[in-house]
Amino acid sequence: MTHTAASTATAALAPRGLGAWTDSLKWLQFAWHNTLRNRRRSAVTASVAALGTAAILLAGGFAIYTYESLAQAAARDTGHLVLGTPAHFSSDEDVPLQHGLDGVAELRTALLADSAVRQVLPKVEFSGLISNGDKSTVMMAVGVDPDGEFAVKGPFLTVTQGSVLAAPMEGATDEPEVMLGADLARSLKAEPGSSLTLLASTTEGAMNAMDVRVKGVFSTGVPEMDKRLVYTSVTTAQRLLVSERVTSLGVFLDRMDSTAPLQQRLAAQHPALQVQSWEQQAVFYQAVKGLYNRIFGALGIIIGVIVVFVVTNAMAMAIIERTREIGTLRALGTLPGQLLRTLGLEGMLLGGAGAVAGALLALGVSVLLYVVPMEMPPPPGRSVGYPLNVAIDPTLYALTMLAMVGLTLVASLAVARKTVHMPVVDALAHT
Amino acid sequence: MRPLQAASPGLSDAGNGAGPGPSRVPVVALHGVRKTYRLGEHVIPALQGVDLSVQRGELLALTGPSGSGKSTILNLCGLIDTPDSGDIVLNGQRVNGLSEDQLTLLRRDAMGFVFQSFNLVPVMTVAENVDYPLFLAGVPAAERRERVAAQLAAVGLQDHAHHRPDALSGGQRQRVAIARALVKRPKLVIADEPTASLDSHTADQVLDLMRERGHAEGAAFVIATHDSRLTGRCDRVVALLDGRIQ
Repeated sequence: MTHTAASTATAALAPRGLGAWTDSLKWLQFAWHNTLRNRRRSAVTASVAALGTAAILLAGGFAIYTYESLAQAAARDTGHLVLGTPAHFSSDEDVPLQHGLDGVAELRTALLADSAVRQVLPKVEFSGLISNGDKSTVMMAVGVDPDGEFAVKGPFLTVTQGSVLAAPMEGATDEPEVMLGADLARSLKAEPGSSLTLLASTTEGAMNAMDVRVKGVFSTGVPEMDKRLVYTSVTTAQRLLVSERVTSLGVFLDRMDSTAPLQQRLAAQHPALQVQSWEQQAVFYQAVKGLYNRIFGALGIIIGVIVVFVVTNAMAMAIIERTREIGTLRALGTLPGQLLRTLGLEGMLLGGAGAVAGALLALGVSVLLYVVPMEMPPPPGRSVGYPLNVAIDPTLYALTMLAMVGLTLVASLAVARKTVHMPVVDALAHT
Repeated sequence: MRPLQAASPGLSDAGNGAGPGPSRVPVVALHGVRKTYRLGEHVIPALQGVDLSVQRGELLALTGPSGSGKSTILNLCGLIDTPDSGDIVLNGQRVNGLSEDQLTLLRRDAMGFVFQSFNLVPVMTVAENVDYPLFLAGVPAAERRERVAAQLAAVGLQDHAHHRPDALSGGQRQRVAIARALVKRPKLVIADEPTASLDSHTADQVLDLMRERGHAEGAAFVIATHDSRLTGRCDRVVALLDGRIQ
């Protein structure tokens, strides 16, 4: 070897930065080149990982959006916390407001003193009959604080005719007002301005009647509710039932995550009362969450299994094709662990590329659904659909991508393990 | 990912084989080695009590018909197979009973391999193939660059450093394989039919190269071959028949 020849070769190597690679990058580079040996197979494998990642992220994002929507709807409906007597939550009433709350004004003032509380709304629930003079039908009525209810809850009802209730003026002698569910209004041939009569049992067990005027007609989106539901003011309900009590108090907070701490505080401050959270009240939310968790959990497992099979198959083919080369590398002094790591890296590169592509795909679809709204068909028991949205949850994205990379790593290692531990002589003789 | 350290201090000398040392100690020695293979119910005796030693810098040719035991001796000397009985001594140290990882580290530090079909890694460039044993041995990057360049220049492939093996002729690939085997200055090079895939002119060049580089680096070569031209240029020829030295 002449000095000139060696210098020429050294110079030829320098631009490629052979010596600049760290050891880890060298193995990574080796793994990367190996993934490019059969580009079509690698592309198919990464595509399956991408589709699996996107499917999990979209399904998971849809579930998270649904949970959040249901949670907000439940909290908006009942209040983040509900205060009542212990009997209210555990026993049926023999007469209306038997287990109702007394001294509501003082209690409400005390509750509003807590900085976390935005509003406290009383509710009087009762049932009875509603009549137009010719026809009577069963009603489920709720007495609410009209101003507070609509201010706090926002447009929670779809008003189809007339307008929402207003708080009765002090000393007003006008007829009390009600709002009717759409199907109930149709059944009674009532419209805004119509006069109807409410009949209900008082807290003493006697029957009482009250003439009311229809202020508006609404739809809840649940046909069974629209056939029966009547809204009126708390004052009207108390006059009809001849009682000063309310059924319960709904406590509305500024933040969802204040619910648990305030529940503990209120329980300590009012030991004679019981405090339940919206979650304890929302049976529907729990049922949907349980159902979706099972459905999407099973979906995730199925997708994971498919990805593992595809990656295992691809890596098995790649490794079997390279058995002789693996034997050569072992003969040259490569430890089985080093080969396992580089083959595991190959799987991780495929899984990682697929996970990134899948996350970008899911992100694009999620953003598109916010920009171009799509409507889901009405669920069973409802008459209106709901927007199809997919939550973009960083934790879900991180965990799904990590899981995808982990699955491909495990699949690669499982396949590679046998070959890298094969006797070198046998590996070299492999054809 | 760092390459592991040498398995044994006594064998970790990846330096120049021409340096000081116990010159009478063979690089590798087989004592009473027996090896059989099983093919179904048939037991095939591959080696039947072989004694052999190879000195530093020696070019030893193993000849004999197919099935005579040449490849088995190569595999045993290269520590990629184990004997049924007998001892293998590498640089004065008995290696029987060492773990797979320990044998791997001995191969990494003390041996080079030249295969009949070259066995270069196709996704690596020529330079990366030659660099690989140094990388495994944990040689610093700057030194690796120098040594790879020197080896490529020595085998006349300095202008092909960034080519992939599939862009080279058979002779060029075997020169790369020789450069890869010698770059870490091993004490022992195992060569299995190194000229079998080459035309006569290229085979001559490869033979000259192995002889020249072997002597320059002080490496012992154990070469299994049918090629009479090659045996004529080796320091010693050992003929095998039915698993015995003739």
